[in-house]
Amino acid sequence: MAYEEGFSIEKNSVEGAKMSASQDRATTANLTYDELAGLKAERELVLLIGPAHPGSGHMKIKVWMDGDIIQRVDPDIGFVHRTTEKLSENRLYIKAIPIVERVMLPDTINANLAYVIALERLLGIEPTPRAQYLRTLTSEINRITSHLYGIGLYGIFLGSSTVYMWAFADREPLIDLLEEISGARITYSYIIPGGVRWDLPAGFKERAETVLQYMEARLKDYEKIWVKNPVVMDRTEGVGIVSKSDAIRLGITGPNLRASGVDYDTRRAKPYAAYPNLDFNVPTFSEGDCYARLLQRVEEIEQSIRIIRQVLKDIPDGRIISDDIYSKMNPLQKRMYEMKHRVMFPAYMASMRPAAGRSTASVEAGRGEIFFYLVSNGDKVPFRFRWVTPSFLNLPFFTHVMVGQHLADLPAIYGSSDYFPPEADR
Amino acid sequence: MIQILSLLVSVSLLSFIEYILPPILYIIVFPGLIVVLLMLFFMIWLERKVAAKTQLRFGPLYVSKRFGGVIQTVADLIRFSFQEFIIPAGADVFAYIQAPGLLMAFGLLPLIFIPVGPYYANIFPANYSLLIVIPLIIITPIYVILLGWASDNKFSFVGSIREAFLVISYEIPLILSILSMILLYGSVNAINGVSFQIGRGIPGIVLNPIAAFLFLVVMIRTTGRFPFEISEAESEVVMGPYTEYSALFFGIGMSLPYIELYSFSLLFSVLFLGGWWPIVPSAAAASGVVGGLLLPGLVVFIKALIVMAFLVFLRAVYPRYRIDQAITVGWDQALYLGFAAVALSIALVWSGLV
Repeated sequence: MAYEEGFSIEKNSVEGAKMSASQDRATTANLTYDELAGLKAERELVLLIGPAHPGSGHMKIKVWMDGDIIQRVDPDIGFVHRTTEKLSENRLYIKAIPIVERVMLPDTINANLAYVIALERLLGIEPTPRAQYLRTLTSEINRITSHLYGIGLYGIFLGSSTVYMWAFADREPLIDLLEEISGARITYSYIIPGGVRWDLPAGFKERAETVLQYMEARLKDYEKIWVKNPVVMDRTEGVGIVSKSDAIRLGITGPNLRASGVDYDTRRAKPYAAYPNLDFNVPTFSEGDCYARLLQRVEEIEQSIRIIRQVLKDIPDGRIISDDIYSKMNPLQKRMYEMKHRVMFPAYMASMRPAAGRSTASVEAGRGEIFFYLVSNGDKVPFRFRWVTPSFLNLPFFTHVMVGQHLADLPAIYGSSDYFPPEADR
Repeated sequence: MIQILSLLVSVSLLSFIEYILPPILYIIVFPGLIVVLLMLFFMIWLERKVAAKTQLRFGPLYVSKRFGGVIQTVADLIRFSFQEFIIPAGADVFAYIQAPGLLMAFGLLPLIFIPVGPYYANIFPANYSLLIVIPLIIITPIYVILLGWASDNKFSFVGSIREAFLVISYEIPLILSILSMILLYGSVNAINGVSFQIGRGIPGIVLNPIAAFLFLVVMIRTTGRFPFEISEAESEVVMGPYTEYSALFFGIGMSLPYIELYSFSLLFSVLFLGGWWPIVPSAAAASGVVGGLLLPGLVVFIKALIVMAFLVFLRAVYPRYRIDQAITVGWDQALYLGFAAVALSIALVWSGLV
């Protein structure tokens, strides 16, 4: 069954579209092969969209078109490759945290969290319950900002500057919340092995509740001007459909996978942080089109708000750093921790030598599942540092979903997949 | 001798004021070039400012901060003037250079044939004004297609092809919309149309709302406002036909939709909003420049400004349609609406209701 479905995709994809298109032309006239090829070359228009195109992002998309219909798409990625893996293999374990954050700017906490979970498994450290809740809290706030970023960029892809400005402006209060916790606006480096670096400031819960209420009110505005906008619905409904089996076969991940009707969420499938203790839904849609992917993100923002409320209600008291790390602090650092609830790095952090072995970690980031694979040979630096980012897994959108669509659907599908080139290039 | 000379001078001065000044006034000052330029500055600023207010930001601000950045567009014009004008290596140079100028010329021409006051009949032959306006409005996109073709750029090419498809699919609804009003007013003279509306006391938008709505849709489409900003769709075809243009020629390309918007809005206020109503100049006043041209013109202008402000506000509300959807609307719903508008006009005229 799976094989047959796979085969039908192949037929519909690149070669299939080219063959059927040329067959249509060949049936009407007795043309030689050369004439046919010439005719085809004359009809065909190759567009190089990017890397300096308003609708491409940091990548080049080569598009073969017949009329207004896309025949073939070849995404050329790597323009913002930052060698994070090789850089991290030549640095201390702790110094990889800022590096992994850099590639996914709207969603840094989740990259940070994924790496730290893999590192903790290598070290055999377990974070404290309060740290687990704080990780979940920051991760969900970051998920909202990531989804708002995606919704905003989708707006500019379809030509609505209003939703673009609104979504980017509405990230501000959430970023301010994270700034209160961690002291930084984008690259927090908040999560460290054994726990987190800062505790909640006084009065945070009330301010967070205000922000959440504001966000809920704004979601209603978004619905009016964007989600239920007749033009948006015309542009996105039935466009770029990914069926359930295709989504699984192509390895698509995150909200895009769930919008195709696959009920899979790493937060529930491979629980981490405080998620096992929390009650939340994993929204799914069966349509698998651009509109479903848009609604998916809106629903996930609502679920994230729900999770944040639970975390703020249930968060246990206690240390934010595990006893393993706390015991390695010097007296000054311990006093600093007791006074300010702020973790200063003990010298141990700079000289961590995990025992030889390997570990993996999966984290549900805003755009999908981040997978980490670390190999240690007992040295100060990782022997192998490997990670797969969700945008890279979502790349099949370009080659498989866009074929047969109109040129104007390219930004619609691109935007709906929330593809982020720096994240894919790593 | 001196008396004769002074008489001659006064007569020639009078005739100058009476016969030669009004057409110059009409073309150069109002509603012609100078007002067009001021309108351009104001409208582009207004569009950016209104969109900014909707989008929780300031918009143009720092050029003349006290007045809300109202001369930002002037600053932009100066910047355009000093930019380098680049001709791409593969461009058809002759067509590439002449197309924007012709575009501007044909974009401005319809203004001459849209009467903004009863005095208009004294300075230009107004008997066929509506018949002349239609082809002049329809001809401008040909130069958009030309400049897209001359640029030797694939995105320009795709953009101009899009423009061509859209023009073809929306010009029949436009003609049908104006035709239904011609049938209703029983004249191709726009001044008669206005006196018809003033005489019955009902504006055209109430007499034939279908035609008015259709005209509005075609106006949005032709001037490239959202949701029909398709041939210049930034995330798809960069700048459409204007992709390769730089400096002042790019400025022309940018300002042309606003000029078209202006002439369309003037036509809309004349055809559908009762023209210079509520100012109804008497026969004596109508033969004077102030009472026959400037005061009624001011009313028409204000109505046109309101229409324009509404249309530029659409940018803040809608994203853009896909090209095939827009074409389908043009050949399907808009065409049927056009026939319905004509049928409504015929029914109104035959039944003798108006």
